[in-house]
Amino acid sequence: MRKNGAARVGIGGPVGSGKTALVERLIPALHRRGIDLAVITNDLVTHEDAERLRRTNLLAPERILAVEAGACPHTVIREDPTLNMEAADSLDRAFPTLDLILIESGGDNLASTFSLDLVDYWLFVIDVAGGDDIPRKRGPGVIQSDLLVINKVDLAPYVGVTLEPMIREASTARQGRAVLCTNCRANEGIDAVADALCAAVLYQPA
Amino acid sequence: MDDVVVIEAILGSQDDPVLAERLHAISHHGVVEVLFVEPVDLPRRRFHSHTDRGTACFVSLPRSAQLFDGALIHLEDKRAIVLRVGQQNWLRLRPSAGGAMELGYLAGNLHWKVRFKDDCLLVALDRPIDEYLARLADLQSTGKVSVIE
Repeated sequence: MRKNGAARVGIGGPVGSGKTALVERLIPALHRRGIDLAVITNDLVTHEDAERLRRTNLLAPERILAVEAGACPHTVIREDPTLNMEAADSLDRAFPTLDLILIESGGDNLASTFSLDLVDYWLFVIDVAGGDDIPRKRGPGVIQSDLLVINKVDLAPYVGVTLEPMIREASTARQGRAVLCTNCRANEGIDAVADALCAAVLYQPA
Repeated sequence: MDDVVVIEAILGSQDDPVLAERLHAISHHGVVEVLFVEPVDLPRRRFHSHTDRGTACFVSLPRSAQLFDGALIHLEDKRAIVLRVGQQNWLRLRPSAGGAMELGYLAGNLHWKVRFKDDCLLVALDRPIDEYLARLADLQSTGKVSVIE
């Protein structure tokens, strides 16, 4: 078993912003970087996201665990993350060479944040179809996350969003901290996200 | 990346008499480097950073470990690395006789980190103070809470 277990990265964001789509794209991107990976999904009262991921065959089914929050999703990633911590611990025990565990939160609101007792780094996914005013609303997820991902950038012209001001406002609200854009459907921007989280929490000797 | 120091355990406290003596000796014939961490980042267990001497560090601690000011995190014959935590600033709030419940509710609802001192609530400032004052504006305007400092 790796000394001190795998690094843990949280992925949060509103319902439908593309968290699961991002995970589906990150898995092959991280595999190409030689990273041994597992995923924990969080849903309200089902295993929907875990089952969706298993159907992709991107990871062995036993490397995908599901946590049912049973209530507001942020309760199991912030107030009492015990269920997710136990799931991550069990993955560490089952797969001793794991480098990284992605923990996808259930869809939540802009106030959703991860406890640093659970994760080492976390990203927050919003999308242009949710409105270009989201960064201006300065929710804790937008402001406090280590990395803000703006997804579905391809939809901007169809939903009346001009992307550049949205990115600029996001960067201002975050006082210059990282903002990346993705189009998960077309696999655009994924490598930059993979590089960012690897650089943050993994040791990769030259 | 060859020169990165990988930190996988907290070795003790610089205040421990045995370690303090060792650090004192190293400071004479080697170097004691300092790794600064902001209070808001103290719970992290995996991160990259640099010491005050420019040494690249990769911190990868056990889940049960908790960093603290003065933690000795690396020890060689001629080099040691000690963790230093940046200053935690606090917002001191005094509720009126009828305002304490509302202030307590607000602080809990916003997940603020707090301490109690005398008749005041101390709020740890992990973000710009204006973000906290904005949330307190209504309680202040109605005289239910006073910002002391």
